[in-house]
Amino acid sequence: MIETLRVRSATRAGLLSLFVVAVEWSRALIAQQPGLTFAALLLGGGVLAVAAVGWPPERLGLGTSRFGLRVLGGIALGAVLLLPAAARASAVPLLPAGLATAAVAVSIGEELAFRGALYAVLQDLGGAPLAITGSTLLWTLAHVLSHPPEFLGAVAAAGLLLALWRWACKDLVAPIVGHVVADLAL
Amino acid sequence: MRRTALLAIGATVYALAAWTVAPGFYDGFGPPQPYNWTCPPPQAGANESPSSGHLTIKVIGGVSDANSAFTDDGQLVIGFLPGAFVVEGKTSINVDIKPLQSCPQPAGLHFVTNVYLVSASATLDPQKSANLVLRYSNLEPDPSTIYTATDPNGQWTAMPRSQQAQPFTIQTRTTTFGYFAAGYPSSSPPPGAVTIGGGQVLPIVVAVLIVVVVLAGLPLAILRRRSR
Repeated sequence: MIETLRVRSATRAGLLSLFVVAVEWSRALIAQQPGLTFAALLLGGGVLAVAAVGWPPERLGLGTSRFGLRVLGGIALGAVLLLPAAARASAVPLLPAGLATAAVAVSIGEELAFRGALYAVLQDLGGAPLAITGSTLLWTLAHVLSHPPEFLGAVAAAGLLLALWRWACKDLVAPIVGHVVADLAL
Repeated sequence: MRRTALLAIGATVYALAAWTVAPGFYDGFGPPQPYNWTCPPPQAGANESPSSGHLTIKVIGGVSDANSAFTDDGQLVIGFLPGAFVVEGKTSINVDIKPLQSCPQPAGLHFVTNVYLVSASATLDPQKSANLVLRYSNLEPDPSTIYTATDPNGQWTAMPRSQQAQPFTIQTRTTTFGYFAAGYPSSSPPPGAVTIGGGQVLPIVVAVLIVVVVLAGLPLAILRRRSR
């Protein structure tokens, strides 16, 4: 019985991993086509959010208790994510206004998929260590097509930080807020 | 307590990792900065060959005019002051910019732009340096320096960097012609100078976020303590 549940969890985790990585890679490839960046981000965010459908909000870390603190934690996470870029001398371009809505959509979609559903299914399979490392590895893998190789270390570290928050605070609201803030600012 | 410590370690690891690549945090939402590559990176998609440029500068009364030479795609612009050239009886001076058809990567350096050969039919007056601007793409990390060489397969020298005027550009001043490319030391990715509050929008955004956290966090912490 336990073995059956374990196989079912592993299958679920595998399928969900394939789904989110495939969506992210498709999004990255479509976004490279002229004029399709906005649509790819918006649709990509929406499709990623589908990964969270069927999960109770609490399992995704979307409870409403201490909501103010969660939002505040998200703002703090956003500040941490942006601090290295802010401390640099180079002129950093802000996100074009036309892409803001799409950036919000894809940020929320990514958090629901990676630190929400994927984290939960990996936690069921192997506890918090597997959830943190697994979601971080898949997050990094998902960004291979959209980011130059030099950036992947920072991408992985950002994923690790957000997954650690998800584990330490049992919260997904702050990673969502932090990710949205960071993506809107840069 | 252990969770807080691990979270702090995670934040430190992120800061260190993000510091190794400029701009520091980048989620790839902005459309790629258009750039015509000699050797496009894999994620570049469709690519056009980089353009060359030509300029004829008039010499009037023994003094060369002020003018700018640039490639047709605007990826290299070099501006000359009045009298920037040693004219030696010439009535005009030709300036040519040509992208190198190969992509040398000298030991210890990583170029993030094409290599361009800038040549002219007269030398520059050492007292009147030319302003050279190179545009780069966000598909590669930001360059820290413009390098120059007389032979693309020879020794490359770092040039002093001028204040950046626009995003995705790097500029310097030069009194000689030759090969130019922007990049960074490959052994230590571009560090970037620390100039918090240096007139950009992003430091202000981060400062506001920190103030919000502090201002809102204090009353929340007090309320939480009172409710216990």
